[in-house]
Amino acid sequence: MATSALLLAAAGYNWAQNQLDVSFHAFQDSRGVTVLSPDANFTKDFTDRTSVKLKFGVDAISAASDSCARCHSDGATNGRFVGSANITRKYGDTKVTGGAEFSRELFYQATTVLASVSRDLHNANTTVAGGFAFSLNQPQLHPGPTVESQQSYDAYASVTQSWTKRTVTQVGYEINQVNGYQTNPFLRTTLNGVMTVGNSPEARTRHALSARLRQALPAETFFEADYRRYHDTWSVDSNAFSLGLSHHFGPRIVGGGSWRHYAQSGAYFYQPEYTGSPTYFTGDFRLFPFDSNSVTGRFEITPKAGLLMMPAGSTLALQYERYRATTGFEAGIFTGGVRIPLK
Amino acid sequence: MSMKVRALAGVLVLGILTTACATVKPWQRGTLADSCMVFDADSATAYMTHWQEAREGSMGGFGVQGGGCGCK
Repeated sequence: MATSALLLAAAGYNWAQNQLDVSFHAFQDSRGVTVLSPDANFTKDFTDRTSVKLKFGVDAISAASDSCARCHSDGATNGRFVGSANITRKYGDTKVTGGAEFSRELFYQATTVLASVSRDLHNANTTVAGGFAFSLNQPQLHPGPTVESQQSYDAYASVTQSWTKRTVTQVGYEINQVNGYQTNPFLRTTLNGVMTVGNSPEARTRHALSARLRQALPAETFFEADYRRYHDTWSVDSNAFSLGLSHHFGPRIVGGGSWRHYAQSGAYFYQPEYTGSPTYFTGDFRLFPFDSNSVTGRFEITPKAGLLMMPAGSTLALQYERYRATTGFEAGIFTGGVRIPLK
Repeated sequence: MSMKVRALAGVLVLGILTTACATVKPWQRGTLADSCMVFDADSATAYMTHWQEAREGSMGGFGVQGGGCGCK
């Protein structure tokens, strides 16, 4: 049930710059779901060795999807807020981060604590990083009052390597163990001719292996390639890869585009419909076999004199993504944001 | 030891053994510092990852995770 938000990339990241990043995301799909999501990220160096990052976001969800429309003919609305705080401290070539995240919405609550460490080696040409997170997730079995519990343990390790002054790669591995209630209480399937809420196993171990490349090409152009191989104990296997190009149109404008292909198998207990008395059965579309493709375009401009009333160095970023799956699902996602450097 | 574990161990060992070959000097890292070359997720990328994981059966591979949402 839990779909996880990326909280902190444990892979080696650049030392913080004081900045405020404010974004507005708009999502609309072919099921009639609209999500409007403003968020803000604030990063500040408090000393030359200590940095703090705060995040606050809101999702305003208007859902007319099949699962909601079954009981709410006019659709349903939901709101979610998420807040997180991370503190990073440098010890020579080593950075240590600790943090927490809390999110709450109708019928779901998640509380996460995390720790990560990264170390630069070989004159910072190599960065080895690792992290661990624990989440307590509490779904409510709407429309009833029962609140279930789910524990998620997540560990990650990566190696980032600069090969030349124009080539950098990263290899990462993540393992995630989820225990507890994992059935989606909203999505139903046909069991002996009757639409029924599913029943999923209460343990799931997930493995993800990733490889990423960033290559600078001639004429201020950059190539990116990402690949992820995924497997879990519910027999969901997937491959995801993306290719992209970015180009600097002068010193203040960056444009780019990317394409992503994704393919997954279904869970071992997935069937279009069920008969008899199966132990596990599901109507969760995330456990169906399908492929998808998405294309993304993005544009950034950093005006010399500043952006509107913002200081020089502020950047306006715009991005649009179009997603289409073989299940017939389609979505369009727009993001507009500004990055404001702070003193 | 399963095939997958051996493959993973091989990738990591190969990565570690080959890292010492790199000779990029600090003053040569200008291009590597370009925003198009870093792996950090900006807000738009983080949101894209978030909603993809709300639609797809797999997740992860790029960092530790939060508890997420009850997205349907």
